[in-house]
Amino acid sequence: MIDENNEIILGVQGLTHHFPGIVALKNVNFDLHKGEIHALVGENGAGKSTMINIIAGVLQPSSGRLIINGSPTTFQNPSDAQQAGISVIFQEFNLVPQLSVAENIFINREPTRFGMIDWKKMNEKASEVLKRLKIDIDPRLTVSSLSIAQQQLTEIARGLAFNAQVIVMDEPTAALSEREIDQLLSIVKSLANEGVSVIYVSHKLEEVFKVADRITVLRDGVRIITKNASEVSEDDVIFAMVGRALIHGRCPERKLGPVVLSVKNLNVDNFIKDFSMDLHQGEVLGLGGLMGSGANRVIEALFGLRDSYVDELTLDGSALAINNPRDAIHSRIGYVPNDRKKDGLLPDLSVKHNISIGIIERLKKVFWIVAENEQEITETYVNKLNVRCTSINQRILNLSGGNQQKVILARSLAEECNVLLLSEPTRGVDVGAKAEIYSLIDSLVDSGMAVILQSSELNEFIRLANRVMIFSSGQVKGELTGDQITEESMMALATRV
Amino acid sequence: MKKFLVEFWKSYSIVIVVIVIGLVLGLLAPRFLTKDNLINVMTNASLVAIVGLGMTLAIASGNFDLSVGATASFAGCISFSLVPILGVPLSIIAGVIVGAVVGLINGLIISELRVPAFIATLSMMTIVRGFTLIFTNGRDLYLFGQTEYKILSGQLILGISTPIFFAIGIALLFGFVKKYTRFGRHILAMGGNLSAASRSGVRTSFVLWGIFSIVGATAALTGMIISSQVLTANARLATGLELSAIAVVILGGTALSGGQATVIGTLLGALLISMINNGLNLLNVPIFYQELTVGALMLGALAVKMQKGFKISSLLRSRS
Repeated sequence: MIDENNEIILGVQGLTHHFPGIVALKNVNFDLHKGEIHALVGENGAGKSTMINIIAGVLQPSSGRLIINGSPTTFQNPSDAQQAGISVIFQEFNLVPQLSVAENIFINREPTRFGMIDWKKMNEKASEVLKRLKIDIDPRLTVSSLSIAQQQLTEIARGLAFNAQVIVMDEPTAALSEREIDQLLSIVKSLANEGVSVIYVSHKLEEVFKVADRITVLRDGVRIITKNASEVSEDDVIFAMVGRALIHGRCPERKLGPVVLSVKNLNVDNFIKDFSMDLHQGEVLGLGGLMGSGANRVIEALFGLRDSYVDELTLDGSALAINNPRDAIHSRIGYVPNDRKKDGLLPDLSVKHNISIGIIERLKKVFWIVAENEQEITETYVNKLNVRCTSINQRILNLSGGNQQKVILARSLAEECNVLLLSEPTRGVDVGAKAEIYSLIDSLVDSGMAVILQSSELNEFIRLANRVMIFSSGQVKGELTGDQITEESMMALATRV
Repeated sequence: MKKFLVEFWKSYSIVIVVIVIGLVLGLLAPRFLTKDNLINVMTNASLVAIVGLGMTLAIASGNFDLSVGATASFAGCISFSLVPILGVPLSIIAGVIVGAVVGLINGLIISELRVPAFIATLSMMTIVRGFTLIFTNGRDLYLFGQTEYKILSGQLILGISTPIFFAIGIALLFGFVKKYTRFGRHILAMGGNLSAASRSGVRTSFVLWGIFSIVGATAALTGMIISSQVLTANARLATGLELSAIAVVILGGTALSGGQATVIGTLLGALLISMINNGLNLLNVPIFYQELTVGALMLGALAVKMQKGFKISSLLRSRS
């Protein structure tokens, strides 16, 4: 636990930063004690990334100053910050995948002997650092052969090898499994015990409360609160983040209609064997399980993205075949992929063009696209989903994660789908947008949509699904409905071999 | 109008460069700014611009085509040899079709055999060149007395040559395709994110076939124009055309990474290169030094462009 009188290692005073047209940070104060884990939370666009980038020396603030170990400092570039003992681990790693772990840890500072790289010494020193972190990775392995979690740990090791006093972690658990998260959190804690200070940026409040000593909440570039973690509740923090209370809890009563989509004995990749289900109108069916359990493959197969074999597939009672995404879209099956950036966004195009890409056929007259039709339809969905953008012609990359996700959802809705396949619909989305997406799904289902939901967040099933099928190694281990859907019951099924 | 201005603004930097270089050359060599010389400059620009416009679509889709030079010379030779049988107009059309077919084969190799565009079109480049050598037996083909064929490179109205009309016409067409058609939208979507495009129902193979057929057709047209200038076709014609075509596209402001395209930029890129070559000629700069100058200019232009791109992307990252 931190002591109030403990020395302040990093201070931020009156930090303000303007981007053309927006104020990203307004007069923000922040301090970090030695050995403290200080969580920085806020919705996307709240200013967290700007603040990290200033601390990392990537950006220079419009006004305000940084104080390192009591003396005011300015960073002209990232290497200044590194010299000052600040190591930032961005969401996108700065590792060279083709090089070994040791090479990455000592990149640019390779120990040399007679002007040549001293491999033996480098590997030994890398081992030392890894051992200090209690990480079991051979430093001679190439980074590309490591799991995401191990790559993350390699980044941390690199920071430590720089003798970092301050480590800044930006959404470090976004791509990790539950077990890897626990491992990471315990490493973070032991670093703090050794006197390293950590700024921990995350959307996931559960983790924040597990690990943080203090919590600072930013909203719209302004610091809302800084409190000891023990003195606030999760709801307090959410309230500070979004400026209003969120409704937690169970999914509302779902009114089920007739069977829409029926699957008999679906086989995928020799992994999923004989999966069957009936999906009703107005239903949200959850497909759950630990990473690699197969739930996601079922969704991808139903959208025509995987080789699969099925005895019988019917939509509204008539048989259909889905060999590629185009077939699925024509059968009015929509899909929101779990990796928005890799499989969803059309990065160079506008919000409008991102929504209309699947329905251009309908917007055409002879062979050209009628601009008014396109404008009208996309505006309808932008309003319906409350996508926050300056105009529908804004480039999608300039939107926050939550709004990008809403655009991807709008794309499927514009295709007028009756069945919606959602894979991690709220990954990398802030709390406010999450609540909006949940209530959107509620209203879609109310008006007769059928939804298949795959998620790694158990709370999402509790909030949205009236029925859940839990997978483990490619097989359904059990089905839960209504009040049976609890974290405990789902975990019990998911871990059954 | 507003959209036009936005598009214009994107190509703004190169417009300034074109004007400045034009004025400087005009001052240094008074003959540069005469009507005849300017038409000459634009005609030469059009040759690369026509195939460059096709290349713009390929690059926008995240691909490129290294076989255009070979296709150009192949189409020129085929078209020439068909003139005695089909007459001039039909042989020109046949040449375009031959180019489109070569392009379609490129597209098929990429989409069906899953060979990357680089390797597929590099192989096609040598295959088509080899084919042309076999077909012509390594000799030049002449069109004696068929001055009708000259229509492709001759002056049309008001002393303006046919290639200029072709370049402008194709640019207008492709500008329209890019902005107002499904095909154009699909090209940009594919270039930006192939996986997302196919998940949105874009038939990526069809689009690829279309793109490469068009590139092949534009290459063929360029090849036949070059052949018609001297009424000679052979297998060594248009060597290096692939690199000039890619160069004018990139110089014009279309990103090699795909996802966006500027048709006007490509025209201006071609104009810029042609202006400089012409100006250096008028200034009696030896041909070897011209090569050097054009290369250095390209490098400089791209270096400046990268700086700008860097700043914009770092701004975007920190805002999210």
